[in-house]
Amino acid sequence: MTAVNEWAFIGIFLAVAWVLPAAPLLVSWIFRPRRANAIKMQTYECGVETVGDTWVQFKVQYYIYGLIFLVFDVELVLLFPWALAYNQLDFFAFGAGLLFIFLLADALVYAWRKNALEWA
Amino acid sequence: MENTGLSLVTVVLFLPLVGFSILLFIPDAQSRNIKYTALGTSLVTFALSLVMWANFDAANPALQMVQRWEWLPQYGIGYYVGIDGLNMIMVVLTTFIMSIGILSSFNAHVIQERGREKLYYLFMLLLQWAMIGVFVVQDLIIFYIFWEVTLVPMYFLVGIWGGEKRVYAAVKFFLYTMAGSILMLLALLYVGTQAGTFAVPEIIAGIQAGTISFPLDGLFSTQSILFLGFFIAFAIKVPIWPLHSWLPDAHVQAPTAGSVILAGVLLKMGSYGMIRFLLPMFPEASVAWAPIIALLAVIGIIYGAWVSFAQTDMKKLVAYSSVSHMGFIVLGIFAMTSIGIQGSIIQMVNHGISTGGLFLIVGMLYERRHTKDLAAFGGIWKAMPLLGAISLVVVLSSMGMPGLNGFIGEFTILLGSMGSTVLGIGFTVVAALGIILAAIYMLNFFQRIFMGELDKEENKNLPKLEWNEIAVLVPIVVLAIWIGLQPAPFMNPSDATVESLVAQVVPDTTTVAQLPEAGQGE
Amino acid sequence: MLQLPSLETLNMGAALPAISIAAWACILLLIDLWIPKDRKILTVYLAAGNLVFAFIANLLVFNQSGDSFMGMYVADQFSGVMNLIIIGTALLSIVLSFDYLKRVGIERGEYYVLVLFVTAGAMFMAAANDLILIFVALELLSIPLYVLSAFRAPDIRSEEAGMKYFLLGAFASAFLVFGGAMVYGATGTTNLNEIAASAGMIIASNSSTSLFLLLGAALLLVGLGFKVAAVPFHEWTPDVYEGAPTPVTAFMSVAAKLGGFGSLLRILVVGMSAVTMTAGEPAVWQNVVAILAGLTMIVGNIVALSQANIKRMLAYSSIANAGYILMAVAAAGSPGLANEATRGALVYMLAYMFTNMGAFAVVIAVERANGGADLEHFVGLGKARPMLAIMMVVFMMSLTGIPLTGGFIGKALVFATTLNAGLVWLAIIGVLTSVVSAYYYVRVIVNMFLRDAEASTEEATPGYSTGVQWVAAVALGGTVLLGVLPTLITVLTDRVSLVASITP
Repeated sequence: MTAVNEWAFIGIFLAVAWVLPAAPLLVSWIFRPRRANAIKMQTYECGVETVGDTWVQFKVQYYIYGLIFLVFDVELVLLFPWALAYNQLDFFAFGAGLLFIFLLADALVYAWRKNALEWA
Repeated sequence: MENTGLSLVTVVLFLPLVGFSILLFIPDAQSRNIKYTALGTSLVTFALSLVMWANFDAANPALQMVQRWEWLPQYGIGYYVGIDGLNMIMVVLTTFIMSIGILSSFNAHVIQERGREKLYYLFMLLLQWAMIGVFVVQDLIIFYIFWEVTLVPMYFLVGIWGGEKRVYAAVKFFLYTMAGSILMLLALLYVGTQAGTFAVPEIIAGIQAGTISFPLDGLFSTQSILFLGFFIAFAIKVPIWPLHSWLPDAHVQAPTAGSVILAGVLLKMGSYGMIRFLLPMFPEASVAWAPIIALLAVIGIIYGAWVSFAQTDMKKLVAYSSVSHMGFIVLGIFAMTSIGIQGSIIQMVNHGISTGGLFLIVGMLYERRHTKDLAAFGGIWKAMPLLGAISLVVVLSSMGMPGLNGFIGEFTILLGSMGSTVLGIGFTVVAALGIILAAIYMLNFFQRIFMGELDKEENKNLPKLEWNEIAVLVPIVVLAIWIGLQPAPFMNPSDATVESLVAQVVPDTTTVAQLPEAGQGE
Repeated sequence: MLQLPSLETLNMGAALPAISIAAWACILLLIDLWIPKDRKILTVYLAAGNLVFAFIANLLVFNQSGDSFMGMYVADQFSGVMNLIIIGTALLSIVLSFDYLKRVGIERGEYYVLVLFVTAGAMFMAAANDLILIFVALELLSIPLYVLSAFRAPDIRSEEAGMKYFLLGAFASAFLVFGGAMVYGATGTTNLNEIAASAGMIIASNSSTSLFLLLGAALLLVGLGFKVAAVPFHEWTPDVYEGAPTPVTAFMSVAAKLGGFGSLLRILVVGMSAVTMTAGEPAVWQNVVAILAGLTMIVGNIVALSQANIKRMLAYSSIANAGYILMAVAAAGSPGLANEATRGALVYMLAYMFTNMGAFAVVIAVERANGGADLEHFVGLGKARPMLAIMMVVFMMSLTGIPLTGGFIGKALVFATTLNAGLVWLAIIGVLTSVVSAYYYVRVIVNMFLRDAEASTEEATPGYSTGVQWVAAVALGGTVLLGVLPTLITVLTDRVSLVASITP
């Protein structure tokens, strides 16, 4: 019997998972205006009006910048607590942190040398 | 006496490989050196195999000149060679036929045409090594290794230097035989892992002592399935009807020496395997299946003879006659009498000699006329009297004329199957019919080629026989007559071993089969 | 609460071969930046030197078993043999790559660094005794492989290969993680030994927990099944193998399999071998793995029949070979057979490594000489380049399982354990598909020797490069040596015992 009960949770979870996203869709489908008009066909129904082509090309450097930024962003999350607890940590934790910094530096030097930081 | 120095068997086995290595270092252009190195190797091997025969103790049924080395000891696999009455004469046959095969290809047209002469002789020596290995090895895995290795050179011999449809024939040959042998691999792995060793004499001893047993209750129990695993591999090699369809293709497409070796030795690997492995390892299953196999053998005898008669292609005719002759050998084995098995062994030698001879003759005619069509010939006796006379002897030997070797084999086999306790008399009667059919198709073959008027212009000025052609035909004729008149020296070596083998398989019938000296005297 | 380990408890020395490769890869990445473009051979030497060092180090510590990283990494004879094979693969493929990269103009130092990373990943996978380390190692193995597949970047098929491999690989990783999570949920641990200790009890209790454990094991199997290209998780293989640069194909067809099977054997044999319904019976996963093995052999071999491109054919053949190794894995599920089956699988993998690297070396040489790797490009090779063609014959024979080659020894051992495990039907599928495989391997030989080229192969056959020559020769030597003197490797594999590490 226990097995049935445990499985029941999954069933309930599934039902809720379907109902929650479906409900707002259903409600808006009921209340939405049926006929399209000029304002409705705009990209954004409110706010700024769009200008120009949607297919704007970004410079490829942008992505590389983005990636490197992300690396440092995540690095901070890990290094910050490490730095805070620095006084209470033993040699092992120090070594682990050092290894982590080495790997990041490794990647940074690589990116630097490959001219990833130049905005040419 | 194990492990002290090299056994003569090991020397005979590895000599072709020595020749192979020497040949590797001879430049491609030195055609003469290549040929004579190959021939020299095969002749020395032949001579040493004769020495082996001379040192062989015929009264001893056990393995002799044994040599064992470890290879994969933790799995019970090892290099284990030795000779006894069953394989000694097969080794001599192999070395003999190989010498003939190599000598006969000295001025073969295809080799000059397609080139790669060195590769050809390399494959010949590799094939010789593998074939001797199949006969002398006493370990299941190593046996399988040699068995499969024979495929590779034969595949290339047919595929590179064969006739028009050589690729088709080569691939068919390869796949057909591989399909059979890989089932055997499973069966032998099972036997070996159950027994804890792959050494055949030890397995047989275990079966005799009852420490290893494969239950047999009904036609499809463990022992039967293992039996079939081995049997199908051997049956494809022999070939037994209805598994023969690769044979005509391979024979017709192979170069002359390839056909000679195929008929002379390769087919015997199947029938040898039956005697060496099937009977002692699965005695009960062998007895249970004997009537069915004998039936297939008899069908093969009649079918092969019948189809052979209808051929217009010389090579195909000889190929189908092989199916018929090999049927006799299988019948003799599954008669399970010592006379029958001895007859089969001697008939293997006879068939190697006479069918090998036929293929040589066909090859020589083909070299001169570039056709294998029977209708293109007629009256050749007048153009080439020597070849005609030799052919007459070989044809008569093949059809079982008394006084020649074929008669000895077929007669002993029929005698053996008549005295068999596991087969009925009907098999013998129908098989005897096969001898009559053989006379018909063989004489038809001879008559259409050599007799009649020399009416075709192209046949009038055929070149005379070359020295090497005479050199290969003469030993064949000599042996055919020698065995026909004096079979005892050729049959005695297998006496003791076959006796003890039959005693193992059908313990209660050994005495029944003792027809007094019938096969051996004149 | 959290006991931080000291350097002694880490015992990194036991993992030295793998660690040295991973660390050196990081450093080499930087060193390479200052190596001028026309002297990239230096990078090759530095990478190869590291591999040789790791190889020797591995041999030296071969007999010393030990744990590193608190039981996450097990250095035993199993990982010892696996490391030898993996490092061998990496060495051969680096030598194979150098000329190729130069020829197609994608010579970049990162290539060798990525190869080193993959090597380290595969080595960690084979030695990982913890679900978490297995996952990390799998990623270390996979991600560089995605990059390597797309290394010939402007080439559209190479890009497609990289993309496809990345998407499906990520998908497979997700399965692996999910499966690991379920197993953790059921047993409360990620350590394989501890899983083994509690798995038996969980199954015996027959509660819903056992269901989670089984489901988790199944998902792990799916995840690793993707990596080793087992049917039905093989769909990516032919496209990726064909599109990737040829040396990469050679490398990943072996390295990814080695890593995948290393982990699979550890998870199933160490972690799950006690998962039986009744004591003394085969493990419950045996039938599942056996069915996968059967399907893999059938589909791999039959689809390979119709391939006209040798790279694609070898891709399907690698699927089929995964099936043969899976046979041994299935056999390992029978009580008392785990060690024998593992040894068989190891010998098979070594034989496959030599044979496959050799075959790809020949393919690279032919690609270079004749401009492609279709069956047609092999026509007349026997006349134009006899040595190359004869080598290819040996490799094809080895893949078929003809004796005197390593392939035969591998197959014989695998079939033997399968028979011992009582999986006769599986062994029969194995041999029948071997016959099928003979057809397409022999077809290569037919094209090389039995068909004559229409004259044109004589011109434009630049001699193949020394690197490729060396790899083909070494692979030939390995294949034949393993076939003639298998004791050389069984001396090592005989010491492998995976189950010994379970002490419940």
